[in-house]
Amino acid sequence: MSNHSALYPKKTVFISLLAPGVVLYAVIALLPILGALFLSFFKWSGGVHKTFIGFENYKNLFTDIRFWNALKNNLIITVVSLIGQVGIALIVATLFLSRSVKLKNFHRSVIFFPVVLAAIIIGFIWTMVYSRDYGLLNFILRSIGLESWIKPWLDDPDIIMYSISAPIVWQYIGYYTVIISSGMTAIPKEIFESSDLDGATGWRKLVYIIYPMTRNTIIVSVMICIAGSMKIFTHILVMTGGGPGSSSMVMALYAYRNSFVKYKLGFGSAASLGIMLISLIFILGTRKIMGSKNNDQF
Amino acid sequence: MISSEMAVKAYRKTGSLFINAVIWLFSISCIFPVLWLVVSSLKTSSEFNRNIIGIPSSLQFSNYAKAFVTADLGMLSVNSAFNAVISMILVVILTFSIAYLLARFQFKGNRIIYYMFLFGMLIPMHALLVPVFIQFKEMGLFNKRITLIFPYVVFNMPFSLFMFEGYIRGIPKDLDESAFLEGSTIFRTMYTIIFPITRPVMVAVALLAFISNWNEYPFALVLINSQHLKTIPMGLVSFNGEYSTDYPLKMAGIVIATIPIIVLYLGFNGKIIRGMTEGSIKG
Repeated sequence: MSNHSALYPKKTVFISLLAPGVVLYAVIALLPILGALFLSFFKWSGGVHKTFIGFENYKNLFTDIRFWNALKNNLIITVVSLIGQVGIALIVATLFLSRSVKLKNFHRSVIFFPVVLAAIIIGFIWTMVYSRDYGLLNFILRSIGLESWIKPWLDDPDIIMYSISAPIVWQYIGYYTVIISSGMTAIPKEIFESSDLDGATGWRKLVYIIYPMTRNTIIVSVMICIAGSMKIFTHILVMTGGGPGSSSMVMALYAYRNSFVKYKLGFGSAASLGIMLISLIFILGTRKIMGSKNNDQF
Repeated sequence: MISSEMAVKAYRKTGSLFINAVIWLFSISCIFPVLWLVVSSLKTSSEFNRNIIGIPSSLQFSNYAKAFVTADLGMLSVNSAFNAVISMILVVILTFSIAYLLARFQFKGNRIIYYMFLFGMLIPMHALLVPVFIQFKEMGLFNKRITLIFPYVVFNMPFSLFMFEGYIRGIPKDLDESAFLEGSTIFRTMYTIIFPITRPVMVAVALLAFISNWNEYPFALVLINSQHLKTIPMGLVSFNGEYSTDYPLKMAGIVIATIPIIVLYLGFNGKIIRGMTEGSIKG
């Protein structure tokens, strides 16, 4: 009846608006984590019988050299991605600030395009790019006289992590370019007005004004990049399946293999939780080190 | 004096040429593998094997017909479209509602809900493959027509929620308040006044959700095993395994699977990028 009560909606109304999304989210995304926590204390291959084995799964997980190797591979992808994705995006976004760049919107759209392609499709395309006889990469190397550089890109354990990181970096540069650009455009216009970015003073301005002012954006990008690198799965499943041997195995693939190929579901649950824990430590640790000032966002 | 001015101008001009050249080179490298894919998909297998880079002598649309029929891309697209469209609608409605309430009202649990979704944004969701599989088995949700809708809605929620929330915070509160004072209910205020204002973000959220669901593979792989429920990426994986040596045919299949994404992107790339720019992920 009274207008005032409308300003503060009734509790029932409030809850009925919130509940569908929140409950769905809790049941599908959070409840399985609790389930996994429970199952991680059992030996279970999916049948009726579960055997309680205490911390055995965790012990096996943390003493399995293959798990640490997978983590190492995730970290290689993380480092390469931070340099390749966020680093290159920072450069591209900076170039976009320059008034002399023509067709900015066109370039931005083209650079963002790989972002919307499926990971599986990126995997297929790059498997073909890397192909020995019919691959684009070897063709280019041959035609510019760098025949000696030709390598079994996806079959050499020594370089496999870099061969695999390249498409991942390539795919997401556009994503970070857009995020970082949006952070840069939030800088007040007056800062640009006094002088041109292309001049000598431009670089100084970049280092002393623009980068510090986009710091939070860069921190968010770094965190999204780490989170993304920790969950890498499909690209690798398609390109190498974790091979040759287990040289390109990553954590998500490791948990998948153990659960669905070896049917060790209790162990797979423990591995899943281990992945979450390790990723959170890295992400929150990075945030702490970089010192985000903006507590409201991340 | 004049000559030094000219030198500066020349310097600027070279600089600008250089920057543009770098950007062009970069753009081309982003699109080149995809162009190679499209061009090669129109060759015969033997023509491709002779020269992987040349322009096809005649356009082999038969690759497309064969890929479409053999990989059963018709049925796969219907399944993928079903999952992607329904999930997209649900993501938009559910996250807008939560985002609006979080942005406008301080209530007990506000921060809890916020951090719950933030947590979902930070954990690697592929770590949930095994736990979700087990839970879906137990709940009887494994391998059903609606199975994939659940993860597809839920895993798009955190990102969408933050996009909406940041945008709604930027909308003046007076707007809601005067609506309330004129007797508008919270439903009407939310869905007929504020919701339309969030359009730039809403469009981006909807498109990004559709795209990520159309593209999604790991959860489909783990939660679906009936032939008639398979999605495009699942079909492509088995198709590519079967015809691993026929590159043009494989490529035709990949192009068909990507056409909806390419069409959406050609039509809406500006809106996606604008929405991302205006949403709050920039921090």
